[in-house]
Formats: sequence, structure tokens, C-alpha cells
Amino acid sequence: MDKLIVSPSPHLHSPASTDRIMLDVIIALVPALLVSFLFYGWAQLIVLVVSCVGCVGCEWLIVRYLMKRPAVFSCTSALVTGILLAMNLPATAPWWMVLIGALVAIGVAKMSFGGLGQNIFNPAITGRVFLLVSFPVQMTNWTMPARSFIEMDAITGATPLSVIKEGLKSGLSIDEVLAANGMDMSMLLRDIGGSSGEISAFALVLGFCYLLVRRVVKPWIPLSIVLTIAAIAGIFHAVDPAHYTGIAFNLLTGGVMLGSLFMATDYVTSPFSKWGGVIYGIGIGLIVMMIRYFGSYPEGMSFAILIMNCFVPLINRAFHQKKFGR
Amino acid sequence: MSKFGLVTKGLLKENPTFVLVLGMCPTLATTTSALNGLEMGLATMFVLILSNIVISLIAPVVPDKVHIPVYIVVIATFVTLLQLLMQAYTPDVYETLGLFIPLIVVNCIVLGRAEAFASKNSVGDSALDGIGIGIGFTVTLTVIGIVREILGSGSVFGWKFIEGDGMLAFVMAPGAFLVLGYLMVLFNKLAKR
Amino acid sequence: MAAKSNLKNMALSLTLVCLVCSALLGVVYAMTAEPIRKAEEAKVAASIARVLPDFEGQPSLESVNVDGIDFNYYRAPGAGYAVISTVGGFGGPLSLMVGISEEGIIVNTVVLAHSETPGLGAKCTSDEAFIDQFKGWDPAVSRLAVVKDGGNVDAITASTITSRAYAKAIANAVSVYSKLAENE
Repeated sequence: MDKLIVSPSPHLHSPASTDRIMLDVIIALVPALLVSFLFYGWAQLIVLVVSCVGCVGCEWLIVRYLMKRPAVFSCTSALVTGILLAMNLPATAPWWMVLIGALVAIGVAKMSFGGLGQNIFNPAITGRVFLLVSFPVQMTNWTMPARSFIEMDAITGATPLSVIKEGLKSGLSIDEVLAANGMDMSMLLRDIGGSSGEISAFALVLGFCYLLVRRVVKPWIPLSIVLTIAAIAGIFHAVDPAHYTGIAFNLLTGGVMLGSLFMATDYVTSPFSKWGGVIYGIGIGLIVMMIRYFGSYPEGMSFAILIMNCFVPLINRAFHQKKFGR
Repeated sequence: MSKFGLVTKGLLKENPTFVLVLGMCPTLATTTSALNGLEMGLATMFVLILSNIVISLIAPVVPDKVHIPVYIVVIATFVTLLQLLMQAYTPDVYETLGLFIPLIVVNCIVLGRAEAFASKNSVGDSALDGIGIGIGFTVTLTVIGIVREILGSGSVFGWKFIEGDGMLAFVMAPGAFLVLGYLMVLFNKLAKR
Repeated sequence: MAAKSNLKNMALSLTLVCLVCSALLGVVYAMTAEPIRKAEEAKVAASIARVLPDFEGQPSLESVNVDGIDFNYYRAPGAGYAVISTVGGFGGPLSLMVGISEEGIIVNTVVLAHSETPGLGAKCTSDEAFIDQFKGWDPAVSRLAVVKDGGNVDAITASTITSRAYAKAIANAVSVYSKLAENE
């Protein structure tokens, strides 16, 4: 490789500014991370550390020894992937599983396509989906929040989405399912089992506001996802409240918040333009609700983002960025 | 090309999967384990050899405009024959591969070799070509099957070396694409040397 | 080289090829018809042998209507019934053969066809702890429903829906048995 290497297409960004943006994303994720430590304790911290070390290590090894282009190594970008992956995993995930996830996220989803800026699919989500399909038992056994840093007797259980899904599948209505499990709706929203990214909607929104203030992201994609989900859930819930869950439930459970705020907005795998972003967001919202209401999986955020990732090149063709001066 | 070359070219130079990229449907669908890959490869090889022989025999007398229908009828006959024989004498194998046996008819490798080789060459050479490409296909499918079985079920040819399941994604469709892709990269990198 | 592509040649060659091929297939079909039938019978016999104790003679295929659904079953003289019971699983139909003794005790169960998720529901074909709990199950004593629903069936980890379907299929088979026992 003695040719001049031209870096991937957004030539306006130098590696330094990529690092700065990624650093902002990491800062924005800090509140949500703190909340997750509070809820899940050391186990979550171990998952986070393994995931980050795995992602950064894998990226460095590939850049250094397979691509032989150490100059394009971006530690912070791999770190963001590592953090997002950890936030998508249950705190009970064993270390080797997290490591496999990191390997798939960086090695398969990112570096196989040429590294930073070239990947079609969001690496962290690809890693999560791979683990979900490969280790369904471990990946669907979520820890209930322990609410204390010391108390390590974690209780495991299903997520509210899967409890409801299972109940509906066997022909019960939502109220009956809740009654059978000794829960009511408000309890579901407070005391839910899930990945760390799922339990702290407020902290996630807080972090996202920081990104908005720093002008790192624009709000169009998350807004359109959230509005689409709210609209669909609103219509279905109004028509048949016994079999379709409501707006707040759908927005606050599962990975909707984490996914729409931090994963769908990933620069590389989302459309460039404002209206492209809106179409992309509506698509994600639609697919999530279709999977939740009619599919066999209880949660569909990661699948929805991956599916819409495929359409990004097409959306970019349809919605060109306005050329300067026209 | 030497007789020996005819048989060995299917492994490297004209490897049906990694170089010609033909017959992807059975390659992706049946290689969930090493044994399945091997059986599918052998089944295809059986059809390939017989259809190559017959087509090289009849090619000189078949009018050009109907050669494709004639070839397809010949191939379909051998596939149906194989299907009946498997159903009768190896019902277990038929159980696992059942759906994909009839699909050998539309496997591009078979018609591809009929068009590109058997219709223009002697009976002996065509038979050798069928054997060569068949071996290439069989070996490739077995290798993909081995990799997927090791990663997906933690076993080789049914012999388990870990407790429980492996990475189940490799037993399912996405794993087929992943393994095929990475093996293709590896193969072409090694073949270039 | 090749013959001229006029209508006569084309029709002739296609006819000839089709004739020869169909003749060949006809011969092979006649040859394999008997072994194929035997192989299929052996498969059914193997399933029956797994779910019922040894018995003399040939099991006979019969069918019965329970609550508007037709069930096929094999009557094995002296050993009991092997009922084929199909219910909706997680990924699609789940088809079981349930062996029930003359006294109404479940002997064994075997999965005939399923489309459950590998690693989760698909364990219903391999999870010995799950399958073996049904051996010698007395429906009069223990309830055929998963523990979560107030029954006595221990579900497969993280696959409540499949376990539920499995229990339901057995319960259906038991109702077939009760109907048959009533009639006799």
C-alpha cells in the first residue's frame, strides 16, 4: 500500500473533529451510565468495561495489523460503540458474550466495510442483534433493577414488553396479563427489567439535550421516530385498548429512547438531509410498532434501525443536500 | 487442458462457489452442518456428472433454438431420479435436504456446465469436468458447513466439543452469509498468492 | 454441428427427449415405489415404538372427532394409543405424537414437526429434563399446564410459549383418549 490514501467521503471533517464529536457523545451518555450503575451495580460496570476494551482493542488490532493504516485509528469512535453496546446488554451478560458482541460490532459491522465512515449498519446494534439471535436465553434474561450499589442478589425476569407479548399470544387481554403477574401499569414503568439503556429515559433525554446545545446532532430523526410511534400507538390503543399497549408504555419501554436518541442518529448510518432524516425516522417508528404489535419479537427497535440503515443510501439519493448557493 | 487439470480446476481456479459464485441458494441454505453440506455437494455432483455426460452426447444433434429446454429436461430427469432414489434408500438424508433436492434443477452450476462445457466437449472430458466441478462444490459446501457447525453448534460432523449451544446466529441464515463472505475473502486472498 | 432449427427438428428432438426421460423416470418410479412406502412406514413405526411400549401386531390408523377437530391416532392392540396432536407453537405448528397407555397414563411424547426458534423453543426436541417429565404422567393427578399457569409442567428456560403449546398438545391428546375410552 504505497498509494496516497484518500480518507472516506465527508472530507470536511478532520480526524480531530471526529474525536471531538465522539467525545461529546460520550459526555452525553454519562448521565444514563450513572443511572445504570445505580440500578445494576458492579455487574453493569464490568459489562461496560469489557465492551469498551473489546471494541477499542478489536479496532486497534484490525487497523494496525490487517489494514496496516494506523493513521485512521479513532479511539473515541470505538469507545462510543463500546458504550452503546454495553447499554444494550443485560447486566447479567457473561464477559465472553460481551466480548463476542464487541468483536461482531467492530470486526464484522464496522471494519469489514472499511472502517470509520464506511459501515452500512450501526455497529453497536449489529453486535446486539447478533447476540440476541445467538444467545437468546442469556439475552432475554434481564436483571430487575436492584436499586442499590451493594445489594448483589439480582433478581432476573422478563422485560415488560415480553411479559405483555407472551400474555397476548396466549389469548389474554393486557389487563388480564397485568393482573396475572401482579402488576399494574404504573409499576411496569417504574420497576422494569431491561438493559441499562432502557431504564433511564430521563437521563438519556438529558444527555441528548447536551448534544443539541453543542449542535452535534439535529433533533429531526428522534422527533420523527417518537412522533410516529406515539401516533401509531395512540390510534391502536384508542381502537382496542385491551390488545394494544398505549403511547407512554411504548415510548418508555424497550430501547426506543436509547435507540432514537443515540443509535438512529449515528452520523455514518443515517441520512444527511433534514427531510431524509424525517423519512428515515418515520420508517423506524413504523417498523418498531409493526414488530411490537404483530411480530413475534417483543421489542423491535434494533431490528427497525438496522432495516432502515439499508435504505439510507436510497434516501440520500432521493433527498439531496441543497447545493450551496441554489 | 490435461485430464488431471479438468478434475482439479473445480477446487481452485474455477471453484463454483468462491470464484464462479454459482449455486448460492443451496450453498447458503443447506450448510447448517458439515454433514448436510457434504450430502448436498454429493447430490449435486451426481446430477452434474450424469447430465454432463448425456448432454455432451446429445448436444451435436439438438437444434440450437431448443437446446435450453432439452438440457433442462435432461437435468430435471436426473434430479427427479435422485429424489426418488434418496426417498427410497436414504430417507434420513432426504428428510434433512428434502426441499433442496428439487432445487438442483435450477442450480446455475448444472446448467452452466452444460452450456459452457459439456455441449462443446467430448463425453470423457465432460464427465471429468462434472467430477471436478462436483468435487469443488462438495468440498466448499463441506468447509462452509464445518465452519458453521463449529461456531453455531460447537461440534464437527455431529461430534460435540462444547456443552450446550454455540452461537446460534451461525446456524441461521445471517450466519450463512457471514461465513460465505469471510471464506470468500480468505479464499481469494490465498488464491492470489 | 447442431441440427438445423426448423420446426420439424425442434418438435422431434423435444418429443424424443421427453419420451426417453419420462420412460426412464417411469421405470425408476416403479422400482422405488415399494421401498419408499416401506421407508415411510418404518418412520411411523419408529415414532410409535418410541411413544408406546412393545406390542404385537400392526397398529392401525384411525381418526376421531373431538370438539370439532379431527385427530388421527394409531391403535396399538394391548399397548394403547399413539395420538397425533398439532397445536400452534411460537414459530408455527407444533406436531406431537403422544403415546397413551390403555389406562390413560402418558408413556412418552415425540415431536413430529416444529418450527420453533433454534436454541429456545427448538429445545423441546432435545431438552431431556423437559421431555422426560411427561414419561409416566398421569393426567388425572397432575395438571397439563406450565407452572406459570398453575399447572405442573416445568417450562423450558425462556420458552414459555413453546412449553405451553407442548402441554396443550398433550392435553388435547388426553382428551382424544378420554373420548376413545368412553366409546369402548
